[in-house]
Amino acid sequence: MIFLKKAAGLLTWLLPVAILVGLVAAWELWVQLADVPKWQLPAPSAVAKELGSSSSLLWDHALVTLQEIVVGFLAALIAGLVLAGGIAYSRVLERSVYPIVIASQTVPIIAIAPLLLIWVGYGLTPKIIIVALICFYPIAVNTVDGLKATDPDMVNMLRTLGASRWQVFTKLQIPTALPFMFSGIKIGVSVSVIAAVIGEWVGASEGLGYLITYSQPLFLTARVFAAIFVLSVMGIGLFVLAVIAERMMMPWHFNEKRANSMRQF
Amino acid sequence: MLSGVDLTVKEGEFVSIIGPSGCGKSTLLNIIAGLDQPDSGLVELSGNAGAKLGQTGYMQQKDLLLPWRSVLDNTILGLELRGVPRKQAREQAMEFTEAFGLKGFEHQYPYALSGGMRQRASFLRTMLMGQDVVLLDEPFGALDALTRVQMQEWLLQLWESLNKTIVLITHDVDEALLLSDRVYLLSARPGRATLVLDVELPRPRNYYMVTSPEFSALKARLMEPLRSQIQSIKSAGQSAGQTD
Repeated sequence: MIFLKKAAGLLTWLLPVAILVGLVAAWELWVQLADVPKWQLPAPSAVAKELGSSSSLLWDHALVTLQEIVVGFLAALIAGLVLAGGIAYSRVLERSVYPIVIASQTVPIIAIAPLLLIWVGYGLTPKIIIVALICFYPIAVNTVDGLKATDPDMVNMLRTLGASRWQVFTKLQIPTALPFMFSGIKIGVSVSVIAAVIGEWVGASEGLGYLITYSQPLFLTARVFAAIFVLSVMGIGLFVLAVIAERMMMPWHFNEKRANSMRQF
Repeated sequence: MLSGVDLTVKEGEFVSIIGPSGCGKSTLLNIIAGLDQPDSGLVELSGNAGAKLGQTGYMQQKDLLLPWRSVLDNTILGLELRGVPRKQAREQAMEFTEAFGLKGFEHQYPYALSGGMRQRASFLRTMLMGQDVVLLDEPFGALDALTRVQMQEWLLQLWESLNKTIVLITHDVDEALLLSDRVYLLSARPGRATLVLDVELPRPRNYYMVTSPEFSALKARLMEPLRSQIQSIKSAGQSAGQTD
């Protein structure tokens, strides 16, 4: 049984890795055999070579993009949590602000990105604002849902123990909302990389998004792919960080899930 | 839902309310606890009219333990809400973990516990509040039959040492008779107390008493009206849905 379970666990890791390796190998083979020109589609080996030869260039631009993502994401996190708390706690805020939050998501950010340049200038600020605007929504909406997902029997139990409205909020609603909040955070982290690239495309002089727009007309296609690769690694790394934070903040959640899934066998 | 229910419980008494599903038993407890307001009538606690939240201990069928708190921290929840420092509250709770069968499990999360243990942890949370009146809403209803008997004997012992006034809601006739000094039978909608039965079985009691002739005689007196009520609900419930 234990051996089988271990083998199954290994398989869940091996399978996606094997598929990825297979795809990359097929890509390499096709470029080599069909003799595709390098400016059109570079082979994975050429991208790897580019990663090595322009590593310091990629590193410098990656740091700029990472800074935009981290600052923008943290701003979105703080704003999203504060607003979600307010919306869940106060009916007035729920009626007045929540519809605006939802409506705000229908505004195409790409369309207002150039305007941001006019309003706040050319530096990092407009990119940070774009990242924050895009990450804010999933965090806020998921957290509002979580804060409202409390079991009414639990609320009554706390009331019979003499809990105030505020105590119900802090002792019950906030812990209940944590799994929802982390879903929002994971979505936010995933789209934050895209948001930073959009911000840099509109107008920038540094960052990986800038490097891509700059390299494309020069047919430095291998460099474009190298930058995309670094962006993906960055996104995956941030996602893993969010998962680690989630597991550290909610050990009970994962133990309970595991205990329940064991019970089903 | 309820009408004309007149319930008197003396200090230190164990009283049960029994009745078919949908007779408003839980509503009655919610009113006593102060969760619901009655349309008319009043609740007096030690001569004070008007039920207020937090004045009685209230335990429900679901254990309602918070999954993110250890067993110990669940039991001190009420004390914590009242402003007792955590350390002090934990020490206070630790004195009772043995009597409540939770020793060695204090630092586990609730999911790791059996149904009976979870229910005892929930009961300790209620008891630590120190109220004289404790309301129990089918506390063992979700447990399997064997665990339920164990819990009933455990509660008997505990109550005899605690000097609490307990109001228990149940639809288990044996449970009501075994534990109580008095049993109120509620009829179906509108809920009305149709029978009051004094249970004159000697204390201390144990589970073997359920087979005694005295017990059987009392049980017969409860079963008869209960059965006729269930019949009448069946015929009336054809058209309308029933909930508890």
